[in-house]
Amino acid sequence: MSVWNYVVTAHKPTSVTHSCVGNFTGPNQLNLIVAKCTRIEIHLLTPQGLQPMIDVPIYGRIATLELFRPHNETQDFLFIATERYKFCVLQWDGEKSELLTRAMGDVSDRIGRPTDNGQIGIIDPDCRLIGLHLYDGLFKVIPFDNKGQLKEAFNIRLEELQVLDIKFLYGCVKPTIVVLYQDNKDARHVKTYEVALKDKDFVEGPWSQNNLDNGAGLLIPVPAPLGGVIIIGEETIVYCNANSTFRAIPIKQSIIRAYGRVDPDGSRYLLGDNAGILHLLVLTHERERVTGLKIEYLGETSIASSISYLDNGVVYVGSRFGDSQLVKLNLQADPNGSYVEVLERYVNLGPIVDFCVVDLDRQGQGQVVTCSGAFKDGSLRVVRNGIGINEQASVELQGIKGLWSLKSSFNDPYDMYLVVSFISETRFLAMNMEDELEETEIEGFDAQTQTLFCQNAINDLLIQVTANSVRLVSCTSRELVDQWNAPEGFSVNVASANASQVLLATGGGHLVYLEIKDSKLVEVKHIQLEHEISCVDLNPIGENPQYSSLAAVGMWTDISVRILSLPDLELIRKENLGGEIVPRSVLLCTLEGVSYLLCALGDGHLFSFLLNASTGELTDRKKVSLGTQPISLRTFSSKGTTHVFASSDRPTVIYSSNKKLLYSNVNLKEVNHMCPFNTAAIPDSLAIAKEGELSIGTIDDIQKLHIRTIPLNEQARRICHQEQSRTLAFCSFKHNQTSIEESETHFVRLLDHQTFEFLSIYQLDQYEHGCSIISCSFSDDNNVYYCVGTAYVLPEENEPSKGRILVFAVEDGRLQLIVEKETKGAVYSLNAFNGKLLAAINQKIQLYKWMLREDGSHELQSECGHHGHILALYTQTRGDFIVVGDLMKSISLLVYKHEESAIEELARDYNANWMSAVEMLDDEIYIGAENNYNIFTVRKNSDAATDEERGRLEVVGEYHLGEFVNRLRHGSLVMRLPDSEMGQIPTVIFGTINGVIGIIASLPHEQYVFLEKLQSTLVKFIKGVGNLSHEQWRSFHNDKKTSEARNFLDGDLIESFLDLSRNKMEEVAKGMGVPVEELSKRVEELTRLH
Amino acid sequence: MESSLGGWPSYNPQNFSQVVPADPSAQPLNVVPATYIATHRTDPPPGQVITTDPKNILLRHFYQKSEEKLRPKRAAPDNLTPQNNGKQPRGPLSDGGGSQATASGRS
Repeated sequence: MSVWNYVVTAHKPTSVTHSCVGNFTGPNQLNLIVAKCTRIEIHLLTPQGLQPMIDVPIYGRIATLELFRPHNETQDFLFIATERYKFCVLQWDGEKSELLTRAMGDVSDRIGRPTDNGQIGIIDPDCRLIGLHLYDGLFKVIPFDNKGQLKEAFNIRLEELQVLDIKFLYGCVKPTIVVLYQDNKDARHVKTYEVALKDKDFVEGPWSQNNLDNGAGLLIPVPAPLGGVIIIGEETIVYCNANSTFRAIPIKQSIIRAYGRVDPDGSRYLLGDNAGILHLLVLTHERERVTGLKIEYLGETSIASSISYLDNGVVYVGSRFGDSQLVKLNLQADPNGSYVEVLERYVNLGPIVDFCVVDLDRQGQGQVVTCSGAFKDGSLRVVRNGIGINEQASVELQGIKGLWSLKSSFNDPYDMYLVVSFISETRFLAMNMEDELEETEIEGFDAQTQTLFCQNAINDLLIQVTANSVRLVSCTSRELVDQWNAPEGFSVNVASANASQVLLATGGGHLVYLEIKDSKLVEVKHIQLEHEISCVDLNPIGENPQYSSLAAVGMWTDISVRILSLPDLELIRKENLGGEIVPRSVLLCTLEGVSYLLCALGDGHLFSFLLNASTGELTDRKKVSLGTQPISLRTFSSKGTTHVFASSDRPTVIYSSNKKLLYSNVNLKEVNHMCPFNTAAIPDSLAIAKEGELSIGTIDDIQKLHIRTIPLNEQARRICHQEQSRTLAFCSFKHNQTSIEESETHFVRLLDHQTFEFLSIYQLDQYEHGCSIISCSFSDDNNVYYCVGTAYVLPEENEPSKGRILVFAVEDGRLQLIVEKETKGAVYSLNAFNGKLLAAINQKIQLYKWMLREDGSHELQSECGHHGHILALYTQTRGDFIVVGDLMKSISLLVYKHEESAIEELARDYNANWMSAVEMLDDEIYIGAENNYNIFTVRKNSDAATDEERGRLEVVGEYHLGEFVNRLRHGSLVMRLPDSEMGQIPTVIFGTINGVIGIIASLPHEQYVFLEKLQSTLVKFIKGVGNLSHEQWRSFHNDKKTSEARNFLDGDLIESFLDLSRNKMEEVAKGMGVPVEELSKRVEELTRLH
Repeated sequence: MESSLGGWPSYNPQNFSQVVPADPSAQPLNVVPATYIATHRTDPPPGQVITTDPKNILLRHFYQKSEEKLRPKRAAPDNLTPQNNGKQPRGPLSDGGGSQATASGRS
């Protein structure tokens, strides 16, 4: 039963809502701080560009982000206000690298109407007070004292009820605000008020200006000595100040919502409009008086929601509708007349309006294809978990036992040879002049035996280790130079080597250590251990890349891993692994400057230890499960960074990110062996041995989620996958703007589901919008169709009274319209249902059947319906049951009665939730998201005693997500492994306006209870930044009530356990009464859900 | 016409001096900095948990006006003092009552 749910973020919010620049992390450090809904990112300006510093989760949706500097401070403080009326002031402690809370509080009022046009938070330039416009008719003041501390807040009545913007003016003796407002005749004006702190009231300000541009929406205060304010309208930009200066210039009609000041004196501003056009606004001035305004076209960017001038002509453009950008303002225009050069683009998936889950390989792992972005910045994004190997070449080869690459000379930058080992022979492949692999020979090597290890060595030598010998071969002559032979009866079982050292393990627990000296193999040391040796490694991790002072050895019988010193083979450290499974692979490696010992067992578990390269000390032991079969570990390099490839039945890349080990699966079923094969033809490629095949391929960027962008230059609204035709179809529209009028053109587009090549297009009628799209088939018809629901959105209608259902077939890669059916409203949702088509049309649910006509064609015929909704926006079906998400009336459950050909309501949730998405978790538990950023679950009570109880969907779970969810769909971002416990957990994927992709996993009750206790314990160790409360943040909250979160767990908080220091982890584990290793393993397994 | 471009403000001339523009065909960057976890105390200093003056705005206005009206009346007590002094005490009645009560008690 899906009552107990785990909510976790797979992809963090990427939509930029605010940005600001200042000296936050140090007096001499210039920072860009970016707000993305519930997170802030702090970046440092450097010669190389923006250097990411930290990502800070905030327990609230950020409504205001402002940097300010109180008197006598050398660093800026950060003011954050949240939409639920909490605020905090943060200061950076450079010594401890900590965010300190300078102040915090709750500025909500029990009585008041939340302001329609959004909250406003502003700080007086002289830091005398903070002003907040949170409720219509009220202006809240938080005064500073003369030491820069905050005092008790108070409200002042504001006569203007429809406020568009408020800003503090510069250079005023008393704190003075300018208010842009609309009167009850829809005219727009500005006026000023002084804040009289002693009287806690406004005093009439120095000036006002009436009858502005009807589209005026933005105020820009101008620093002293120029002073005054700029008023941005849709057709006019105005400057005015206290000296009755009034300057205006006309502009081409545009909606400007973002600006960034360029100069400290306020003479130039960057303006960004809704078409992504960047302009420079110039205040021409002489003798500290503004003489005019001038506006110049700079170029095109993403549609800006925030603009921050950084330094040296470089600007950050934050966007809600497309990727954010780092741009440079050039002095010379490019051939297109643009002065804007894009230096970097930063992913923004927001807004995710819809998505579908495409499981191309039928492995249970889906790619999420999202409708992202808006207006010209619309796109499809393909989001995939795991690292892809892109095969370039392959050859059939059975029975591969080992794989190594060799260079033709020690100092060559590229590999040339592939050594492929089989059970009783070794073969050699080489890149020829035409960059093709062909078989070759290395005469000095023993080709009649299985190779155990191969390596380039110093002095231009090659090393080959077999069961009987170690051979040194010259790179130039390829002939044998020296040889070490195993004593009779003691063949070599496992071996490792580096550029100058060889370590061999023979039967009987013998360990033999050789070094290469003057092109000779010299046996330096020999010891006998008490048990058989299962694996060894000699990879250098210290200063010298050609010589290791440590060796790692795995043991049979006592199931241990040991660190030995070289050259003495003295035992430094013995670590008992526990259990009964033998270690089969051991690896010394350094990732991101941190040294690790990795040890893989025969059952697919991996131990990791922090390794002190100087002393051999092992700490911070961790254990994860990477599969079920023995693992082979190998380092490889990609884009100059070292990673580890774990070959097994579930190949995994182990990599370090922010000095933390992470694991990401690879898009291959099973890999037996792997080695790096860096060639000139295919740099940074890998050679991979699978069952019966050897392939060469390149590897994706090493990160957890891969995002591919397909730009559309129009906005996609609904998307659907059709496996049978191997296509995706989506509804989209293009925004057309001429100088006279605006209009939209709406389409249904078809593309290939692998290449995303555009195949076909169908243009809808004028005013016709695509509202829904599904792939479905009908009873008695073997074809699969796309069904599109539309609405005619006419300017004079309050709501659509007409729409269509269009049925398309895909024939020869083209959309063919088969049937169209007119409807009496907007077709908000479509579902395939019992071999028929279920449609949500305005307030009605309508069922259509697919009828064969006498002429052999089909038509949609209405069978039955159900009304009683406000607007039925979302529907999901399961068997005969239908769940409806209503615009205003929450969730209802309907049932289709076959015999009576009727749809009846079974139950409903009587709360007044304004729904944004619904899904059925199982037969009895349904989940919904609503417009106050909450999610909740309801349960069908079929077994209840009374009709009233059976007619009520019981709310069983409530949680504040803090995100507006547009779609919930069953699916998984990760491969579902049938023999894994986590693979049995059902998951739903959600997509949100701010670009979040998240997972809701339904847990067994026992696991839920355990994790709930963990969450309670973690709250004590991990505080909210700014002292904001996690419990308050996650409480279900809407206009009518606030209640404690229940039956939902915060996966983001739980998984942050893995980011704690070892000491803190141990404290948490102690509080849980569980060993820290066990606790880490259980949390690590949760991260594999997404 | 003098160009408005150029003369961009510079805090540190080195900033962005070594930036290589991204390949236009490259996928946008999806880099997230290390997540900050507050394992330290995040309480603000004493007195810096800010609340709102609970007094209703309207009532605050009324009180201010009331205070203004009350100012002339503060002179009144001086005038009233002599009248108070002129009142006769009720001592005899009280004494009589007391005596009777006491006598009753005794019997």
